[in-house]
Amino acid sequence: MIEFDEQERRMVLKLVYYGPALSGKTTNLLRLHDLLSREGRGELMMLDTTDDRTIFFDLLPFFLVAPSGLKIKVKVYTVPGQVKHDATRKAVLQRADGVAFIADSRMAEGGNNMASFDNLEKNLAYVGLDIDKLPLVIQFNKRDLPEVVKEEELRSTWEPTGIPVIMASALEGWGVVETFGTLAELVYANLDQRHHLGANHGLTQQEFVQRLTTRSNE
Amino acid sequence: MKRRPPFVVGAEKRLTDIIGTAEVTPLLLGAVKAGAASAAVLAPEGDVLWEAGKPCNPAETKGSIPIVLEGEPAGSLVVSGNGAGGDAVKGIAAITHTAVQTLVNASLKRILTTEIHTSVVNQSYKELLEINKSLSASEARYRELAATLEKKVEERTAELQRAHTRLLQQEKMASIGQLAAGMAHEINNPLGFITSNIHSLQKYTARFILMLDYYSSLLASDPACERLARLSARKWEELKLDSICADIDDLIGQSLEGAERIRKIVSDLKGFSHVDDTSEGIVDLNAEIDRTLSVLEHRFPEGTDIVKNYRELPGFRCNPAVVCQLFVNIVENAIEARGKGLRLMISTFVNHTAITVSFADNGPGIPEDMRTRIFEPFFTTKEVGSGTGMGLAVVHEIVTGYEGTVEVTCPAAGGTIVTVSLPLQRKNDVALL
Repeated sequence: MIEFDEQERRMVLKLVYYGPALSGKTTNLLRLHDLLSREGRGELMMLDTTDDRTIFFDLLPFFLVAPSGLKIKVKVYTVPGQVKHDATRKAVLQRADGVAFIADSRMAEGGNNMASFDNLEKNLAYVGLDIDKLPLVIQFNKRDLPEVVKEEELRSTWEPTGIPVIMASALEGWGVVETFGTLAELVYANLDQRHHLGANHGLTQQEFVQRLTTRSNE
Repeated sequence: MKRRPPFVVGAEKRLTDIIGTAEVTPLLLGAVKAGAASAAVLAPEGDVLWEAGKPCNPAETKGSIPIVLEGEPAGSLVVSGNGAGGDAVKGIAAITHTAVQTLVNASLKRILTTEIHTSVVNQSYKELLEINKSLSASEARYRELAATLEKKVEERTAELQRAHTRLLQQEKMASIGQLAAGMAHEINNPLGFITSNIHSLQKYTARFILMLDYYSSLLASDPACERLARLSARKWEELKLDSICADIDDLIGQSLEGAERIRKIVSDLKGFSHVDDTSEGIVDLNAEIDRTLSVLEHRFPEGTDIVKNYRELPGFRCNPAVVCQLFVNIVENAIEARGKGLRLMISTFVNHTAITVSFADNGPGIPEDMRTRIFEPFFTTKEVGSGTGMGLAVVHEIVTGYEGTVEVTCPAAGGTIVTVSLPLQRKNDVALL
């Protein structure tokens, strides 16, 4: 039950898709499930919903084995975006190894994005995680819709923070795998510093990311 | 390796954590009923977890189908036949696998739901307890506030009244001070030339007398002027110059004494009003009491006897104008308490923490039912218009300003004793004046 168990030779990673209500977190996971190869990927588990709104979380697990025999499980969770489910968000965010913040690109949603990001900062602090050290990417979703904030504007706002920014349309299926891949890269870099995945387990960053993001042939 | 806290939800689980004998065995028995010789679920290491039919040989895992938990092979299903009908066994194995895998998925989902639900309920309960705690605390605070509100209002009102008293008194003293300063200036000018002229006059008259003596000695020494001398002596007697010459010195001396007294009164009045110094300083309280007494002297009733019983006092840090106000209010009360034959005994002494000053008069004392109210502003026993009701309120205000105490007692033998105690060390700076 620890992140890295030398005896059992396994490692469990937790990635969390965070963001305001209806920004497309579940849709991101659905697309990942559809787009990525079945190899090493578990089934998407959607816990009970009401009116198609997440009330607990969704879980998409991945499993891979490093050349050294180290078993690595990557569990990707979504949180419920609605304000009232804050207790659930805290529980899901606990022990996260990386966060993808899914923002809604529409102009009218700027306020909700900021509120949710503030909530993320607050809840990370609550569960004892440092937002400055945690791997974090931001996806501006729903680029297929009209009346979205211009890409240059978003980039000029967010890129100075050093947080990777990815444009996406989960509905159309683009930008989704890139978001996941970018987060995986950051998580690997973070882990490699502590556990030397490359040196001790023969798993390179490129290989790690590629194993997680192999597209389905179907 | 730093240990991290366990996952609140989604901790790693083994197959045996997810499904149990009661759920799996019926499925395996179903496979046997459908025609398989044996059906078993094995752990990843090959141990038999559950089985039905003939005992399964863990070594014979050929044709086993993996059971996946969160994408990871967590065990396998082995179904073997009786030798014949391989396809049928395959079919049975496929159906049984689907059933077991579906059972695993459904159970995991149920377990995760329970975990997150429990976690949220626990956390919400914890938060509710905290909210309840802070609400209870705030309720208690408001209850206390409501209960003490009336008392607080009374306290504040009294405070305001005292501040008002102080302001009134300060204003009064300020105008008296200005008046005194103006008068002192106006009086001192003529007083200066009066004193100086009297001194000159004293010198001049001395010369006149010397001259007169000279004349009479000349006349007496010359016998030719005998008649003249006799006439002069008669006139001298007629004019009573003997007693006049004797009286002149006394007259002039008394005039100079009177002028000196005027000078002293003016100077005391000026000093008492402290128009020239309004800031704190180190003050000898004995001297301030004397100053106060000299200013009030004209108001002492006939036959007043002031008994001073002073001890040497250390310097007291205060505003001298303020302590003069303090003493004047106490002495005025004593004066008003008794007509003829006032006897006022003033004692001062010091111990290592405070200076104590007491004023004991031989007046009628204060009736017991009034004693609790005497420090209230505007409380007066005098007729309307004659008293302000501020005297002891001001005393109380000044003394508490210096963190001291004031006590009024009326001994059975009669009279009133006002005892003021002023600490030498103070916690706060005084905001008076």
